[in-house]
Amino acid sequence: MNFLLLALYAGAAITYGLHFARREPSAGRTATTLLMVAVLVHTFVIATQTMEAGQFPSTNTAAVSAFVWVLALSYLYVEVTTNERAMGVFILAIVFGLQLMTALLPDMETSHNQVLHSAWFGVHVASLLFAYASFGLAGVLGLIYVLQFKEIKKKQLGYFYTRLPSLQTLDAMNSRAVAIGWTLLTIGVVVGVVWAGQAREEFVDNKNLAAMSLGDPKVFISVVTWAVYSFALLSRRMMGWTGRRAALLSASGFGIVLLNFLAVSYLLKTSHSF
Amino acid sequence: MNLLLIGVSHRTAPVELREKLDFSSGDVGAAVQELAARASVPECVVLSTCNRSELYVANDDLDRTRREVIDFLGQFHGVPQQLFAPHLFALEGRDAVAHLFRVAAGLESAIVGEPQILGQVKDAFHSAAERHCTGPILRSLFDRSFFVGKRVRSETALGEGAVSVSFEAVAIARKIFDRLDGRRVLVVGAGDISTLTAQHLRAGGVGEILIASRTAAHAQALAEQVNGFAVPWTEMIPALGTADIVITATGASRPIITRAHVEAVTRRRSGPLYIIDLAVPRDVEPSVGDIEQVFLYNIDDLQKFVQKNLSSRSAEIELAEAIVDEEVVRFLARQRSLSAVPAIKALRKHFYAVRDSELLRLEGKLAALSPEHRELLERFTHLMLEKLLHEPTVQLKALPDQETQATYTEALNRLFRLSEIESDSSDASGARAKTGGRN
Repeated sequence: MNFLLLALYAGAAITYGLHFARREPSAGRTATTLLMVAVLVHTFVIATQTMEAGQFPSTNTAAVSAFVWVLALSYLYVEVTTNERAMGVFILAIVFGLQLMTALLPDMETSHNQVLHSAWFGVHVASLLFAYASFGLAGVLGLIYVLQFKEIKKKQLGYFYTRLPSLQTLDAMNSRAVAIGWTLLTIGVVVGVVWAGQAREEFVDNKNLAAMSLGDPKVFISVVTWAVYSFALLSRRMMGWTGRRAALLSASGFGIVLLNFLAVSYLLKTSHSF
Repeated sequence: MNLLLIGVSHRTAPVELREKLDFSSGDVGAAVQELAARASVPECVVLSTCNRSELYVANDDLDRTRREVIDFLGQFHGVPQQLFAPHLFALEGRDAVAHLFRVAAGLESAIVGEPQILGQVKDAFHSAAERHCTGPILRSLFDRSFFVGKRVRSETALGEGAVSVSFEAVAIARKIFDRLDGRRVLVVGAGDISTLTAQHLRAGGVGEILIASRTAAHAQALAEQVNGFAVPWTEMIPALGTADIVITATGASRPIITRAHVEAVTRRRSGPLYIIDLAVPRDVEPSVGDIEQVFLYNIDDLQKFVQKNLSSRSAEIELAEAIVDEEVVRFLARQRSLSAVPAIKALRKHFYAVRDSELLRLEGKLAALSPEHRELLERFTHLMLEKLLHEPTVQLKALPDQETQATYTEALNRLFRLSEIESDSSDASGARAKTGGRN
């Protein structure tokens, strides 16, 4: 099943690439269909894993795979509502890359930690996953904004100029994605803090809970992420940082998100390694 | 298919003559109606744009029609024939089909691939159809030409990229601002090229257009033309700060918009500022383009893209021509198979009439049959006829040209005396009704 899923994402990535390169409407429709099938299969895979484990899978690999699922789903939503496929090839590159990583990296045993049996945990994880997906979209929008900006600014109207949407559209979409992402991130972090506080009283000898503080790498980088996106939001409104600056901010913001999500989770032992 | 096309185009006639023979400024529908009445043609369409006046007619007697159409052209416009006759071109049958397909595809346009022509072909057909001047031949021909036009546009890049400086300027504006609605434009200098660009922007749906010129009267005149506002020359720089798009085309010998000017007004704004400098020598200091929010294009930049677009269009011409050729062959084959239809119908009628009359003759003997046997007999005879008719039908539809088709039809008429059967077909259908035969 996992192999099928990977193959479907690969197929979607390739057809989005073909659609981008050749601008054939039929390739675009095929790409969307493939991605929809992939998301459906992925939904099935996650549902099966959840039922088998009796809880939402909380290992690093499962979390990355869940992020892939949420990102693909969010992208599909944007594509269907805006009828804009230019982002597809970039998003699918991330989607496929991360999904491939989950297939290659060793997974830990799913631990049945009583601490995680809480509705708050669900809200915490879900809102953070959707926040990261929004930041993923914003990051890609920022990246393609810069590509488009460069061609128009340098008067080299070429490959990207003919394929990408207008700067205005990209900027507006970016602004919306950052705002949605920031809201969800805030909810996710607040819920996490409140829930950890409660759980600490309930599970007094849990080492993870005891170690949760600003000094913890994962918590620290999350706060940095929050600060970066808060700045992106404020600077757009107060200082007129739209366009290229906003684009660069959201692209680098997503870099930090990925760093937190991948490098910190896999390489460092943190309070979040349940 | 008896199709004739007579007309003038930018390839055959100078503009002075095309103007004289133009229908598009008047009521095309009325002209079509008059042509249909005067030249006694059952089907006609008049296609008239600034580059061409073409009359498409379908009739049996093409030689007579040709004279009548030329007479009509002269009389309608009051132009002596000897003046325009040398510039006329006349095409028949396949050549006329190919020409219309090429026109619809944009291959015959002065600017190859320009998008308006397909709409003009559609309008021409509709104004003829509204006056009931079209019939099966022109209807299928024009229907197909719309399809060919669309196919060429979707399968080739013939229509891509702007091919004039002012269109290119607007195309870039759309890549920066997306929709132009509500965008504020400042036009500096009211010359021809800035007028043209302002008009294109107005057509693109921009909001307010402000015009500043050293000569206030020029600014006022252009303001009226594009539905904008004239601003005093001294207000030009402050107006720069509120504009999204700036077009400059003055005759000044030194830059009139400096980096300091633009920096002063962009410091307080966040949105992009798109400056199109169409003047030679330039009106805007080149270093203005280094300011973060500013996109500065001069006339050379735009001309470079126009050249590139033109050359990439010409690369697509071959592809578009292949599509047109393919569609012409397809259309003619379809027309031929359609023109075989009357002969096929007559043959079928004949076969079924024989069968029905035989069944009727044997009515007395067949009365003893049970309803099931009777049904079986009818089915059997029907199937036998269908088998016998199948191959001739296929062959007739596939005949290569009109002459061969006429020969075959004639042979069929003689062998089966089809024309006689036509005349007393009412008897046959009466007989068929009694026996319940299928046709």
